[in-house]
This record gives sequence, C-alpha cells and structure tokens, in this order.
Amino acid sequence: MSTANANVTLFDDEFLKKLEYLNIISKRLFAGQLRAERRTRKRGTGLEFADYRQYVAGDDFRHLDWKAYLRLNRLILKLFEEEEDLPIYFFVDSSQSMNYGQPTKLDYARRVAAALCYIGLANLDRVNVISFADGVKAELPPQRGKGRIFKIFRFLTDMAPSGETDARASFKTYCTETRRRGLAVVISDFFDGHGFATALDILRHFRHDIFVVHIASHEEIDPGLRGELLLVDAESNATREITITPSLLTAYKAEYLKYCEAVESYCGKYQLGYVRTTTDFPFEELVLKVFRQGRFLK
Amino acid sequence: MTFLALTPVQTALLAILTASTIIALYFLKLRHRRVVISSSILWRRVLDEQQSHSLWETLRRLLSIVIAVTIALLIALALARPEAQSLTGKNERIVIVLDTSPTMSTQTSDGRTRWQHAVDDARDLLNSGGPTTEFRVIDTAGATASAFTTDRNEVRKLIREMSPKTADPQFPKVNGQDAQVYFVSDGVTIHNTPSFVRRISVFEAANNVGITAFEIRSIPSTPLGYEAYLEVQNFGQAAEAGIILSGTGGQRINKTVRLGTGDSYRDVFDLSRFAGGGIRATVQAKDDALPLDDVAFAYLPVKRKTRTLLVTKGNNPLETLLKLDNYVDLSVSDPASYRDSADIDAYIFDRFAPAAAPSHPALIIGAPSAPWLRPTTGEVEKPEITTWSDDHPVMQFVSVHDLSIERAWVIDASGLTVIAASKQTPLIVVSEKPKWVMLTFDLASSDFPFHVGFPVFIENVLAWFSREQLALRRSPGIIDVPLPNAQIRTIDGKIIPSDQQLGKTVFQANDPGLYSATQGDQRIHVAVNLANPLFSDVNRSVFKTDKAAAEQHYWLRRELWFYMLVAALALISIEWFTYHRRITL
Repeated sequence: MSTANANVTLFDDEFLKKLEYLNIISKRLFAGQLRAERRTRKRGTGLEFADYRQYVAGDDFRHLDWKAYLRLNRLILKLFEEEEDLPIYFFVDSSQSMNYGQPTKLDYARRVAAALCYIGLANLDRVNVISFADGVKAELPPQRGKGRIFKIFRFLTDMAPSGETDARASFKTYCTETRRRGLAVVISDFFDGHGFATALDILRHFRHDIFVVHIASHEEIDPGLRGELLLVDAESNATREITITPSLLTAYKAEYLKYCEAVESYCGKYQLGYVRTTTDFPFEELVLKVFRQGRFLK
Repeated sequence: MTFLALTPVQTALLAILTASTIIALYFLKLRHRRVVISSSILWRRVLDEQQSHSLWETLRRLLSIVIAVTIALLIALALARPEAQSLTGKNERIVIVLDTSPTMSTQTSDGRTRWQHAVDDARDLLNSGGPTTEFRVIDTAGATASAFTTDRNEVRKLIREMSPKTADPQFPKVNGQDAQVYFVSDGVTIHNTPSFVRRISVFEAANNVGITAFEIRSIPSTPLGYEAYLEVQNFGQAAEAGIILSGTGGQRINKTVRLGTGDSYRDVFDLSRFAGGGIRATVQAKDDALPLDDVAFAYLPVKRKTRTLLVTKGNNPLETLLKLDNYVDLSVSDPASYRDSADIDAYIFDRFAPAAAPSHPALIIGAPSAPWLRPTTGEVEKPEITTWSDDHPVMQFVSVHDLSIERAWVIDASGLTVIAASKQTPLIVVSEKPKWVMLTFDLASSDFPFHVGFPVFIENVLAWFSREQLALRRSPGIIDVPLPNAQIRTIDGKIIPSDQQLGKTVFQANDPGLYSATQGDQRIHVAVNLANPLFSDVNRSVFKTDKAAAEQHYWLRRELWFYMLVAALALISIEWFTYHRRITL
C-alpha cells in the first residue's frame, strides 16, 4: 500500500469528522476540567493551594503568608501545586504479525492511535508516537496542539509492518532514555515470542500509567482453515505442516481465548487499562470504550 | 484357502505388489497448501499439547496405512477368486429328489400340503449349500430332471414349476458316488431307496376317506343294462362319509356310511334310472386331507335302438334272438332283396356277402366270398378253439372255450384282429376299418347259438358297431386313447391339448375327470380317476424324520470375492468418513 493511498484511506474526511465527534464527546465526558491541568507532585506556580512551609532564603517572598506572619510572627511560605502537561506515549506495534487480517490489524491500530492522539492533542497533552517491533523502529517527537495531528497522521501512515515482536526490548530501549513518566498506550496484538508480561513489566517499572489496546483479527479468532496445510509464521517465516481437524481447531480457539484472558488478567492484576477489540469493530466505538475506562483522560 | 483364478505364487506376488505400492504411495509427500498466519505462537502451543498424544498420532497414521493396504489387498485378492471351504463349502454336488406322488397333495395340520413342506425343505437344501455347490433336482414322476448347476435361481424356478403328479412314482436313477442325494418325501408311495440317499420326511398323519374304485359295467343278463360299482375306504380315524352319485340328467343317489379306521365300503348301484352321460361319484368326510380321491367319474352309454338288417336265407334262432332284444329294431331280408341303406345301423349277413362292402358295420357269419372279404383257402374239420381274447369288447363276458364246431373255413387273417382261433384257422376275426366281424364257421355247423354267451356276443357286436361304449378307465397323468388324431374335450366341452403317439392320441390329465376323444363320427370316453388304494392310504409312510441332513449350513452363499469387494467398499466408505473428519490421515 502506498503512503498516499494509505493516507487517503485511513485518514480521510470521514475519519476527521469522526475525530471531531470524538473530541466533542470527550469534552462532554470530562466537562469542568481544565486543559493541561495535570496535578503533579511538584510544587510550583499553579493556582491551587497545596501546603505551607517555613520560609528559607531565596524563596519568592510574593508567596509569603502575611496574615500568618502577623498572627504567629513567623515567615511561612504558601506552596501551590505545579500544573504541567501530560506526556502520552503511543506504542504502536508495527511488527509483521500486525499486517494480517482484512482490514489489517496495523491499519486498525493506526486509526485508533490517530483518534487517541487527536484527543490528546486537543487536551494540550504532549503526544509521543513510537513504532516498535523487535526494537524501536521510529518515534515521533512530542507533539502538542491540534494542529500537529497531520504530522501524526503522516507518521502513522509511514509506519510499515516488518520484523518480529520484541516489546520488552523495545520498551526497555525507549524508557531507559530520559523520559518523563506519563500515560503509555500500548496498541498491539501481543503476539510476542518473549512474552507480553515482561514487556508491560518494563513500563510498570518506569511508573507509567499503562493502557493496553489489544487488537485481534477475526481470522485469528476463528480461522477458516481445513485440511493439510503448511502454516507460515508471518514474522519468523517459520513453517509447520499441519492437518487441521475440527478438534484441533477447537483446541486452537480455546488456546486463543486463554491467551487473551491471560493478557486481560495481567492488566486487571496491575490495574492497567485494557480493551480488546477485533478489526471489524468500529474504531470510534472502541475509542469511546477507552474513554469509559476512565484512564485515558483524567 | 485356494484361489480359482490365479496360482498361489501369482496371488502372493499380486498381494506383495499391491501392498508395497500402496505403502509407497502413502509415504509420498503431499503438497500442503501454504497459509500465512500472523503468528504461530498459539498454534505451536496447541500442537505441542496435541503431540503429547503421540501414541495416538502414531496409531492414527498406522491405522490409515492399514486401512488403505487392506482395501487394496481385498480388491487385488478378489481378482484371484479365493475359496475357503470352511466358509463357502467345498465343491460338492447335491441331488434333490422331490417326491411328486399324489399323496404329497395331502394337507397337513397347518393348512399347507406335504408338497409345500417338501418345497420348503428343498429350498432349505439349496440355501445350505456353498456358492460353488452344484444342484440337481429330479422328481419321481419322470417329468423333471435338471442338469447339475450352480444357478440356484434356475433350480428354484424348476422347483416352483413342479407339482405332485398322479403318474406311477418311481425313485429315479441317481449316482450316489459323486453327489449327495436327498429325497424329500412323505414315504407313502416309495418305500425303497438306495442306501446312500438321505431322506427328509414331510410326513404327518392325516385323515382321508377316498374312492378306491368306481366303474360302470354292463349287466350281462340285461341288454344295455348298467350298474355302478363303488368302493370307498377310510385311511384315517373313524368318520362318517357321505356318498353321492349324480348323473347328467339330474338323477342322484345319496348314502351315508360310517367307516372305522381301515374300513372299506363296497356297493353296487343300479343305474337304470339314470340317463346316459357322465356319472360323478363323490365322497365327503370331515377333515379329509386328500381331495384328489374324493371324486370319481364314469360314463353311462346312452340307450338307443340299433336298426339292424338281417340278411339270411333263414336262421330262426338268430332271428328270434334279435327280435327278443328290446334295443334292436330288426329288419329281415333275403340275399336277393338286399340293398344297402342309409337307414340301417348294422348288418348281419348270414352265409351271404354282398358284392360291395356295406356302408355300415356288418357281422358276417360263415365265410362267403366277396371282393371286400378275405378269400377262403380251404376247410377245417372240427377245429378246436385254442386262443381267444377277453380284452376285445366283442368278447366281453363271452366264453368260447367249450365251443364245438363241425367245420370252419380257412382264411388269411393278416391285417385283421383275431379274437378266437384254432390251430388251423382263425374262427372270429375283426376288421377295425371298415368295421366288420366275421365268424369263419356257420352257426348251423356249431353249437354257438346254444351257448349262454351267444346272445351276449351278438349284443357285444351290435354295441361295438354303433352303440356308445363304456368309458376307458385311466389314472391321472399322461392318458392315451386308441383313437388317432382325436380331439380331446373335458366334460364341460373345453378342448385340451393333445399329441399323437404311435396311432394314439395322448393328453395330460392331472385331476380326476371325464374326457371325450372325438375323431369324425367316432367317440371314446375316458374316465380319469385316482381310485387307487396305494395313493389314498396317505398314512402308509415308512420314512423316519432325518432333519439333521437339512441342517448343513455354510456361512456364505456367494464366492468370497463378492464379500471381499463389499468389504472393500465398506472400508472405503469408512475411510472417506474418517478422513473428512481428520480421524485418519
């Protein structure tokens, strides 16, 4: 698929209309909250009172509580909460396994990522988009403001499926660089030979808020395979001769369900946001589902 | 196991070749369809788990090979036509002799007949044989004798067409050396069978009251007087029997008699009240098992005067005798006045013969010379009668052994029937065509007119000339009538097919009845009656039950190749079913 075509197909006018709709919905859902008002542990120059402390030399005396001085004859400094924008990291799995299904999981992931990015940008958050497979393949520097959405579109469009999945190595590489803590949105099919748990452990270790978007293709959930087949792994190109029997298919479906439940169970255990979807599920409804989880926007 | 189509070596080679080909083909790699999947992680897990059942996997593969090889071997070996004696029996020959005696028509307690039971037993025998067993079926009437065949349907068809016959039953000549011979019978009419014959009995005791004799006979003392003789016998338990004699004119005689076991009833019935025609005798008894002998027929000649012309120079005894006969319309003429007339039924020429043969039958007394008669070649003094025939109707109830003759003429009797003769010359000769009877002696030169048999002789001659005769008596079966090219009709007038044999007309009559054979103005009646105590005594069986002989049983009815192909087909179906459900590979 050429970049231009993908751009037209994935992010056309219809898509933009949907983004705007989602933006309005998000505002209605989170009405009363100020933009970019993310309380942090830092004390700073915000408007919200946070605490008192003893004045020390060098403090801004504009924040001295003169009334307290008159009553107590002591210099007490008023502290305010620092208000800063929230970094949102979108980890989009662009391994070869994502290039599967109709539409492909990667296309679906692009749309979901684009929608969430748009909401993030509209909330004046700093949006980072990272393409990963067996490592960090590409990353988009932090973007802020709705006007940057087209840059994100371009980045997502240019994202090409390749390589095996190694989320652990990818996250580790990205997080060990100096990064601020933030919201890490992982969009992937979680077909990771090294295990999904160790990858998410890395993000947890760096104290990110984590939101998991688990994408599955309908062809994976219910593969219409029959007979004597040579299965080829899209990522590793490993092959295996197999005779698909009804019992084998049943076993596979059970295994797939078990795997999905394992991912969900992990997220539940560590209170991570989790949504699972299939590529034939409307992406805007998925985004609303993400909103309802209450973890993406606070 | 033997093979009919191939030698054992060829069969073994075929089997080895087939099995190795199938196994080789089985191990040829199938080109699997290539399918790209997003990840094989989950498939790997599932397959690893499945491989824990590796024993089953191995067995599955083995099972598939075994099924494929078995199918191929079954088809290949079927071509060799295998044969297993334990399953299909050896190549044996079985002769089934079915008793077709009349007694086989006896009904049994289940409402069927002994014959039907015999047919069932014969079919059991057919079913008991193996696929290569050859069968032959023969009856005891000589009507059916098939060749050896393995085609059971043909044998079944033959058996279906067979039925009890009233012909004299005889055990057929069969060779017990190369075949097993079974005789299915009730053991009533055929008592002796060869020792190698295995007997299967269908005998069951039954009640039967039957007519064992029925005939109409003339009363010698009464011209054209007839009486009926009837004999009825009980061969079962004591029973009351109703006897009915009925004539075509509606005359009827009823009688009821009680008969103990083995009792017989004999009676003579006066038929003077009966008009001429068929007479039917029936006997009715409760639980009678054999209907065949419950009815009998006879023929009562129609009484009619014979217009007779006596041509004589004078013969008082003869003239008086004829005048006294109520059934003779006599005219007397001297030789000079003789004219052949169509109004005359019979002529009596006393020492005279016209130049031309008369148009009607004639009794010629003496040996006058005439072109249509045999010339005399001399005279014999005091000839002694040495031979005579009782069988000819002319001689019925006539005794001539003490006849005294002074003089007789010598004639050449070739081509004529001699019914009485001395050593030197025939004394009474008969010509069948034209019909005439000649005495080669003069009545005046013998004491024949004074014999008691003389009136009977004259009556017999006139009766033979033109009166109706009593019916010929025959038993059911093939009937022969001494009248060539005759048309045979039943008592109802229905024409039945007939054949010609040696100047006789032959036809088939399986049931009792009255038949008439007609040729031109000649007519002979034939009364066909069972009337035979041997057939009516349905309980005179000598057989012991030999059911064990019929219990021979082989598992299979066809050659093995048929079952092998069926098995191969079944296995192919199973393989198809299991393959599509991935049970087999």
